[in-house]
Amino acid sequence: MSRLPQRAPRRLGAPLLLVGIGLLPVLAGLAATLGPATSSVAWSELLRTPGLGRSLGLSLGTGVVAALLSLLLAHGLLAVLATPRAIGRARALALPLIAMPHLALAIGVALVLAPSGLLLRLVSPWLTGFDQPPDWITIQDPLGLALIAGLVLKETPFLLLALSAALAQVPADRLMLQARTLGYGRLRAWLLCVAPPLQRQITLPFAAVVVFGISNVDVALALGPSTPPTFAMLLWEWFLDPDLTRRPLAAAGALLLMGLCVGVLALLWAGGHAGEHWRRASAASGWRAAGDAGLQRLLRGVGLAFALLGALALLALWLRSIAPAWRFPAIWPARPGFAAWREATALLGDALPVTAGLAALTTALAVALALAAAEALRDRPMQRAALAALLFVPLLVPQFSFLFGLQVLLVRLRLDGSWLAVVWSHLVYVLPYVFGVVAAARGALEPRWRDVALTLGATPSEAYWRVTLPLLARALLLAIAIGFSVSVAVYLPTLFAGAGRFATLATEAAATIAAGNLRAAAVAAATMASLPLAVLALAVLLSALLFRDRRDLPS
Amino acid sequence: MSDVAPAVAVAGLALSDVQLSLGGQPLFAPLSASVAPGEVLSVTGPSGSGKSSLLAWACGVLAPPFAASGDLRLDGQSLLPLPTERRRLGILFQDALLFPHLSVGANVAFGLRAGSGSRAQRRRLVDDALASVGLAGFRERDPATLSGGERVRVALLRVLLAEPRAVLLDEPFSRLDAPLRESIRSLVFGRCRERGLPVLLVTHDAADVAAAGGRELALRSGADAR
Repeated sequence: MSRLPQRAPRRLGAPLLLVGIGLLPVLAGLAATLGPATSSVAWSELLRTPGLGRSLGLSLGTGVVAALLSLLLAHGLLAVLATPRAIGRARALALPLIAMPHLALAIGVALVLAPSGLLLRLVSPWLTGFDQPPDWITIQDPLGLALIAGLVLKETPFLLLALSAALAQVPADRLMLQARTLGYGRLRAWLLCVAPPLQRQITLPFAAVVVFGISNVDVALALGPSTPPTFAMLLWEWFLDPDLTRRPLAAAGALLLMGLCVGVLALLWAGGHAGEHWRRASAASGWRAAGDAGLQRLLRGVGLAFALLGALALLALWLRSIAPAWRFPAIWPARPGFAAWREATALLGDALPVTAGLAALTTALAVALALAAAEALRDRPMQRAALAALLFVPLLVPQFSFLFGLQVLLVRLRLDGSWLAVVWSHLVYVLPYVFGVVAAARGALEPRWRDVALTLGATPSEAYWRVTLPLLARALLLAIAIGFSVSVAVYLPTLFAGAGRFATLATEAAATIAAGNLRAAAVAAATMASLPLAVLALAVLLSALLFRDRRDLPS
Repeated sequence: MSDVAPAVAVAGLALSDVQLSLGGQPLFAPLSASVAPGEVLSVTGPSGSGKSSLLAWACGVLAPPFAASGDLRLDGQSLLPLPTERRRLGILFQDALLFPHLSVGANVAFGLRAGSGSRAQRRRLVDDALASVGLAGFRERDPATLSGGERVRVALLRVLLAEPRAVLLDEPFSRLDAPLRESIRSLVFGRCRERGLPVLLVTHDAADVAAAGGRELALRSGADAR
């Protein structure tokens, strides 16, 4: 007779719980949006909206162009940087931009690019001769160029990070060496050999970037055109309209937005296949494009310009928030003071602790859930990847499309405006990132370390606490920093699940910028940007201090 | 039921009709062998023959999609119903697998049983153990700074301080330089013999088998078995 070694029954509770938390609100919300959105009156009203075509075109154009530019720039920068050390440095530079909330960064960019902004102040009057802000339209331009710039600034670092994480799965160094010794230029070698396998690994993050670009309010609020606005901004106005009869109209619009996103993703997918076909044909052409030094310099230049724009945006936020008055060409406010901050204290006095508390609670829950799920799937890489993909689904749905229905459901359950509802809505956005980081680190951990601990007599829980968890510590710190920043940034879910009763830095920044109160917006945005940056700095510091005498610790 | 415990408990490690399979394909012909206390049994076979998986199975950490049948007894008692941490089988791998977040001393102390004395006594035990293999003063060192031979010695101490009842060796010498290999071999085999531990060695190196001085069992491939 034979016996099998006894294995602990697989606990699938945590992975299933994650799927439920991540997908339930989205599915229920979408279903509840469908109801009011089926009214034919609403659809005919929607189709009669003046400027609808232009709004839709703006949303699609800015979203798709920004996503493609970000992708191109991220690939290009990685190809130009090439060495693992340079890529590591680029990642370190990308992290602060990733940690800064969209809304705060957009307000900062507006303060840089506006005619009275930091950029023109830096060159006035000595270069431009301007004593007054010129009568130019540099932000909220009708074509949405400033909106595209803001989106590219925020999404390029994100895609850069996603691509550099995918580099672990692709032998980029050897592929590049092979191609370049055959005489191919750096960029063409990357395009032909490295980009395709890398791109397959970031399909979902890229799709999320596209959907966010088309459907965002966060960046369009500060940088987007207003006559007409993007379609997402129209929806935002309709949803916030105290006149409740506009709700069916808004619901129909949310459904239209969802359909547009699905359509665009399908088109991009088809385009990707066509591009792949072209790439294969082109790879056989023998064209080596060896003289690409100029293009490489251009890419470096554009990358540097965006990095500078990000730094200036943060600086502009801080300067504007401490400047009661800031006469035009002066680079520095004449009498910097904390008057604006004192004025804002009443506002931030509530919003800051609520924001930080929400972020801390959400992140702690997300990290604990992600750890449990990653442990349950520790030797199931396929299921781990499937769970990561499932958790990403909410990021592929425009926020409006399910938030509207979700709010209806929450009101019916008398949960609207509760901490439960708001924390859950944040978890939907925090979990995909936190689980992504934690699961990748757990999957990369040498499984025999745990086995060794067990054979030495440690119980499974001792092995977990004394070996597995410490070896994951650095990844956990990164996951915490990212999770925290996502929660601080989340605007529409806070607005809807919080039923307008949850005042966070995001809702305050949005309300003040929409009201045109630049200084108050700058205070809220500066705080909103500084909070995740502080957490990130703390995480990086701790990560460096933790086990600093141990060279071979996984990072 | 033919599953009757032997009337006399046989000392040492006994494998009976052990077979591993991957997706229904057996990796090797059913294996039966016994290893007496203080003896080394060398199991040889080409790479991919399932040698390492055999040891993983013995420890109870064989991961799916592998499946196994057969029995494993230590001093007459079947180990299969026991979880890994209660089987008390020490294992050495070809990479020493020292915990990278712990110092050399903490790695060795990880193996210490609970109740092996006060803090100071445990510390003394670790220091003495390190000194006994020529690593005096290494307690606070980062394992990453150790040479290959030093790592194997630390891993050996970690295993021995856990007081195993048998030791499994998964080609632990294959990564060492030739001159070093001999001295580490004799250290490992000597320590295990001293304690009267049955040792199961898997290797593809004939010199390992010769140095072990025990019987050799060549794994026959699963295809031959059919």
